[in-house]
Amino acid sequence: MSDSREPGALPPLDRRDFLLLAGAAMLLSAAGPSAGTIPASRRRMLQVNGYATDAETPLDALTTYITPNDLFFVRHHWNPTYQNVGRWALTVDGEVERPLRLTLADLKKLPRASATCVLQCAGNGRAFHKPVVPGVQWKYGAVGNARWTGVRVRELLDRAGLKGSARHLHTFGADKPPVRVPPFHRSVEIEKVLEDGIVAYEMNGEPLLPLHGAPARLVVPGWAGDHWMKWLTRLSAQAEPQKGFYMETAYKYPKQPGEPGVAFKPEEMTPVTEIFVKSNITEAPAGAKVGTPAVLRGFAFSGAPDIAKVEISDDGGQTWQAAALDSQHDPYAWRLWSFRYTPRAVGKITLIARATDSRGSVQPKEAVWNQSGYLYNGWHSAEIEVGA
Amino acid sequence: MRRTPRIGWLLALLAALLVCAPAGSSAASKKRRKPAKTKPTPVNFDVKLPVLGTRLSSFPPGEGKTIADQACLACHSTDMVRQQRLTEKQWAASVTKMAGWGAEVPESKRDALIAYLVKNFGPDNDRFEPVVTRPVGR
Repeated sequence: MSDSREPGALPPLDRRDFLLLAGAAMLLSAAGPSAGTIPASRRRMLQVNGYATDAETPLDALTTYITPNDLFFVRHHWNPTYQNVGRWALTVDGEVERPLRLTLADLKKLPRASATCVLQCAGNGRAFHKPVVPGVQWKYGAVGNARWTGVRVRELLDRAGLKGSARHLHTFGADKPPVRVPPFHRSVEIEKVLEDGIVAYEMNGEPLLPLHGAPARLVVPGWAGDHWMKWLTRLSAQAEPQKGFYMETAYKYPKQPGEPGVAFKPEEMTPVTEIFVKSNITEAPAGAKVGTPAVLRGFAFSGAPDIAKVEISDDGGQTWQAAALDSQHDPYAWRLWSFRYTPRAVGKITLIARATDSRGSVQPKEAVWNQSGYLYNGWHSAEIEVGA
Repeated sequence: MRRTPRIGWLLALLAALLVCAPAGSSAASKKRRKPAKTKPTPVNFDVKLPVLGTRLSSFPPGEGKTIADQACLACHSTDMVRQQRLTEKQWAASVTKMAGWGAEVPESKRDALIAYLVKNFGPDNDRFEPVVTRPVGR
């Protein structure tokens, strides 16, 4: 077969070539479930409070491994006194040999440390507790996965000369409550922050936004957001835990499940620490056809460092099939997952997702009811209409 | 022999990708040498959406609205209250807690406030829908 083309000209594409090129282009544009971007139509927030601002991310915008900064949920207790970065300094004191006062420039000279992990508000899913409980009525999106960069808490406490008497790290932010409202002061067990706590000044490679705690916030991988103090001004190593409403009354979870609607007594509660194993469905087809695969996607995370499996059920939880976990992962980060579901019958089908973490904890059908509505992690489901 | 054309196209595709990337950055570096103008921010959301932090309209009219305004709005926007669906017992407990923290609730108006809250934000009221806003900081 003769070839009449100019020397060096490219040959016409045949079908095989076209498919090969299309495949290569697809590989370059979208390597997997975590490689996509979020289209403009999904780039929005769901505001549940205008002042002080609370807003969650819609589930259909939580489809990437890294949650973009401008789509990351926002939670305030009180309006912060926004920090003038030029005057800001972090104090490290208490049970230490050499108290420190570090400006942002000082912090940035210290060895950098990063962690990619989930931040979830302790109250995420509060709206699903039955009977209803007071508080911000978060549904699914008070959670996100980001890369946090700053200085290890261990580095700061080593430099300050931490004394053996220190057991708790008291944390203080720049938010000021109105009238007689108690301040949002907290503490974290010293072992936890020495292990992997970070004072972060960057989020996903950018300086922290004021709404996310600029100039610096605490990062406590695997633990609920109440520990991640924003607008950080002081870390104080102490022998005893912090006192006050937000330590002694709030952020407590029942030691044992009880009767939904019956408030637990203080002695029946223990502090909220690790987040619970949970999976959410972020993408499900509105319609599907019998015999034709449809793709379901979502994310799963836990207070354990990794997710072991995500499973899907189409029969109310009697049988389960394993979803595919995305390879992208870091300790305490979330796993994106996908599942090819081939419907076997027409009608409405409810698909349920449940996760199991690396310590063997399985996401329960129903979360433990508690009067503050913390740590909801009941099964999440999606309904699809299957046609012939 | 059949492999050569395919490889040719693939090489062309890769070359195009490689050429495009430096072309973009070289244009950007030329721009940087000129006096900086305002950096264009890509608009990748619906600009008709309200900004995050928009305050909702006032509480619904009715007996008790004035005391609700006075008691709640010093610290909250109306949506903090509007999203609750609490029983009378739960609202009474919330009012006690908030009064202890400094909310202005004269004893003579406490019952009227609780009745207003239960009527408008009780278990049987319509579901609260969050305000759809622009992304954070946009």
